[in-house]
Amino acid sequence: MAKFSLDDSEEYYIKLSDQPKRFDADSPVTNVFFDDTNGQVFTVRSGGVTGVTVIGMDNSKNTSFRMEDRGPIISIKFSPDHKILAIQRNHESQNPVIEFVNFKDLAPTNVEYSHTCKWKNAKLVGFVWPKANEIAFVTDHGIELLQVLPEKKQLKSLKSTSFSGAWFSWCALSNIVLLAGNNGALLQPFLLNNSSITKLQKLELDAARPVVERDVFLLRLCDATWCAVFRHGVTTNVTAPGPTEVWLLLVSGTVSHSTHILKTGLVGRFAVNVVDDLVVVHHQSSQTSLLFDIAETVGTDGHVGQVSHAPLLPPAPLRPARVPDLCPMYSSNWVVFQPDYIIDARLGCLWRVTLVPSALAHNIPKDDIPRIVAVLLRRSDSEDTIYRILVQLVENTDSYLVELTKVFDEINSVYKQWAECEMARSVAGVGGNAGTEVGSRTPVVVSQTDFCTRVLHARAHMPRLVQVVAAYAASLWRQGLVVQQPVAEACVRVLVSHGRGGRLRALVRRRCLPDSRPLACQLLALGELQLALDMMARLQRTADIVEVLLGWDEPVAAAGVSRSSGGVPVPVPARKLLAAARPRPPHTFLALYHALQLQPVTSAPGEQCDIYDEYYKQLTSEQTS
Amino acid sequence: MIDVKTKITSFFIFNSSFGPKEGEELKRVLFFHPNHISPDARKNQVGLCEAVVKFMSTFSSEPCEALQTQTKRYIFYQPEKGYWMVLVVTIPYATKATSAIGETRGEVLNPSIMSDLLVSAYKMFKLFMGSFKDIPMENIYSTCEEFFNPYIMSKNLTNDISDLIQGVSYLPLDKNCFFKVICLIDLLEVTYPDFKCISFVYNDQLIWNGLATNDMLTLYQYLVQTLLPKQVEKEIQGGAVAAAQRHGRFISPPDGIRTSDDLKKLVKVYLRCEDDTESKQYYLIIYRTLSATMCFTIDVNTTLEIETFRSLDAFIGPHLSTIASTISEQCALHALQTAQMLGTDQKFVYFNRLNLAYKSSASLSKLVPSTAIKPEVLSIIADIHTDRKSLGNYGEVIIKTPDEYWITGKTSNEREFYVIIQEKNANLKEIADEVKRICEAQMKGIFFYPM
Repeated sequence: MAKFSLDDSEEYYIKLSDQPKRFDADSPVTNVFFDDTNGQVFTVRSGGVTGVTVIGMDNSKNTSFRMEDRGPIISIKFSPDHKILAIQRNHESQNPVIEFVNFKDLAPTNVEYSHTCKWKNAKLVGFVWPKANEIAFVTDHGIELLQVLPEKKQLKSLKSTSFSGAWFSWCALSNIVLLAGNNGALLQPFLLNNSSITKLQKLELDAARPVVERDVFLLRLCDATWCAVFRHGVTTNVTAPGPTEVWLLLVSGTVSHSTHILKTGLVGRFAVNVVDDLVVVHHQSSQTSLLFDIAETVGTDGHVGQVSHAPLLPPAPLRPARVPDLCPMYSSNWVVFQPDYIIDARLGCLWRVTLVPSALAHNIPKDDIPRIVAVLLRRSDSEDTIYRILVQLVENTDSYLVELTKVFDEINSVYKQWAECEMARSVAGVGGNAGTEVGSRTPVVVSQTDFCTRVLHARAHMPRLVQVVAAYAASLWRQGLVVQQPVAEACVRVLVSHGRGGRLRALVRRRCLPDSRPLACQLLALGELQLALDMMARLQRTADIVEVLLGWDEPVAAAGVSRSSGGVPVPVPARKLLAAARPRPPHTFLALYHALQLQPVTSAPGEQCDIYDEYYKQLTSEQTS
Repeated sequence: MIDVKTKITSFFIFNSSFGPKEGEELKRVLFFHPNHISPDARKNQVGLCEAVVKFMSTFSSEPCEALQTQTKRYIFYQPEKGYWMVLVVTIPYATKATSAIGETRGEVLNPSIMSDLLVSAYKMFKLFMGSFKDIPMENIYSTCEEFFNPYIMSKNLTNDISDLIQGVSYLPLDKNCFFKVICLIDLLEVTYPDFKCISFVYNDQLIWNGLATNDMLTLYQYLVQTLLPKQVEKEIQGGAVAAAQRHGRFISPPDGIRTSDDLKKLVKVYLRCEDDTESKQYYLIIYRTLSATMCFTIDVNTTLEIETFRSLDAFIGPHLSTIASTISEQCALHALQTAQMLGTDQKFVYFNRLNLAYKSSASLSKLVPSTAIKPEVLSIIADIHTDRKSLGNYGEVIIKTPDEYWITGKTSNEREFYVIIQEKNANLKEIADEVKRICEAQMKGIFFYPM
């Protein structure tokens, strides 16, 4: 099988961020906590007495401070605006209490207070900050949503809902809490929005196969929220369990398929991240990661609303990271958080997982190129890679014409969707519903102009460019798009410079290049007079036709055109017509002069026509005498 | 309808320089049809023509074109210096006054059709054999014999408008379909760089051409008049075989290409590609699936491998049959629209000198001989068509025949448009308006000089 490899691409398509955030490693006197809402690591030394350091991806929010040691900390998190710090401690009493410290400019003030949940005997499972001034206590009795009033050192209960859950999962991007009840056989999502708690459609799992906390994640993917569940050994064969699948169950959002099954084909321990709307499944024992794109179109496997996905590419390891020496990858000290955090508590590193778009096109089967381009088109940072692939395919058209054609189809189908969206938006009006569009991702759009400037222009002399432009234009028509001026111009230029005038004429005759004034002028310049005049006539550029005919020294025809076409006479200065007729035989001049006299409105002899009037008089007097 | 076989008295080719000495006159005759004419009669005929041609050259620098006697009409054509092709037809004659000739004129082949016959015969010869002057003298007699005998026998010339205005019928296609053809050609040329696609024909209509205009016409005529009718006949006879050959086959050479021996049978042709400046010799390979026919050329200096042809066959077959069926759907659709549009009995002919596009109203096509044009009308159109000068770059002429036919000829920008209207009580203005209307309805998107 012929392979394609993008030049200068690497083999690792997933990497860790280049500069990890360093923090003090976990040790007997140092505890490390991670807040996935703000993406911050808290290192608490000696219970806070010798200092708490907060480090996140956003350096402006890093801080360090001291606090009293009032017992072992279970969870510590800033509110989203970093004005309140909430701490959950492991008290002897086991009361559902959370302590609060007001902060100002990332430094603690002395204002401290605490609040106990409404269910006094409940066990506090955790807490989350859905909004700057709102906190939700998650307990085994239910969820209580409270408003924090830092000035008054008080909390006001907003809403509560009862549910018996043992553990929960939180998605900060969509403000959804997923509580696991019935020993992990029932997953109940709640939406914490608008200072309220909304119970969402519950997810019922196979009661015989309850799930455990480490196998459940809430993910934000393709503008929807999903519950990812690892289903190990699906075949229920105890001695040789089948490979693990990741089931994505829709929690909220509108999508065409509510269940996606990601087939890993592997067994063992897994972790999952989301990078650029791709699901990354890390597999510890093979030290590799898999990529899944749920937006990929695949056939359904019989069940309504359920589709299966194979990995986009064969499993590949993460690119080895240096801190500054090579560090162990897929280490057992790693903890993976959503959406894209990996923490090595022993080393004291916080990374984000990122995609290397160019590596997706590294050493792939030739037939897969269009599929990979389709995947890249849905990524946010892949524009450059797409152009590089295009350029490489265009430069090697001899081997890749078929693939190039399919790649054009992928590009143009995205382009078409985008164009239709734009059209709909402009029809709806500027103020219409522009607000709703902001959240949705814009995929990479390779417009016709971009294609010409970034791919075609610099390569005008590639031997196979004739085929390339034909394939591109064909793809545009196939998608029901109109070939725009830049592409039409590029077509003409390429065909002419490659000496393929015959093809150019055929394309124009069959209207495969849309009529336009610049194209008509180009044809005129190339000496394709018939084609140029036809096109001008179709465009009803009467004035241009008149100019052309005058240029050919055909004043009578020019006058005829100005008068007859389309019913609306086009004013042509009589001066021009007469000037062109002057050198012709006298009867031509006379006929034209008379014709103009009959049409006083549009082009009667008049301004600046004195010399022609004289010539007329001279001719007529000659005739009469 | 006039059958040429009965009307062509003789057809011959001579070159005076081939047998300059006395007693070697026969050597000058390169080819003579019909066969049964005695050598002496041949000598006489050729001698007469030589004399006339020589005699005329003292009066004009232009070569002699025709000679008319009381019983015969001679048409001369000198394609290469010294080589003369002559076509002789008998004309019916009466011993009446010369004014009567006008009445009987229609029965004779129109002179411009005769002259076109000679030109096409030469072009076809040149396509397959090359120029006369490039053929060694010892071979030229047998070469001419080999080529012109079947050619002249197969030629079924009639006084038909399509013989008068020799053009190419282009198949109208939508953009997607046309691009499919283009992309297939590209893919083939990229995959098999030795092969160049020079034409793509569906049924008898051209879709793609890669040749210079004149050569295109010759190849097109060869395909449509000679090769494809034979193929179609074969396909109809062997219905079962045709079904098995659904995925296409090579039809030139006629027995296909199966073994390396078949490669030796490849036809060689002299052609000029559209964007080239000179003719070259190529192998001509023709491939056909369903109703689609593709012609390829390979440079004669290429080493041929049977494997390439097998692989090409496997590659092109499925592709071509898919495209052929798409085109056939389009054609069905188009035929329906045309049928609606051409419902009227308008008679028009369109011809574009630039790409030789020829189109006529359904009522003028050969399929409906009952409404074929009267010889007088045809002769008028022939005159307008031949006499390009009088109408110039653009112009219009309306001619009325004594039997109420109005013939309008328009030229504009290398295009010709003829309309025939039979209308007893019309006046010139009505006819002019009607022509304008037909022109606008039939020739959408084409610029005609205003009249």
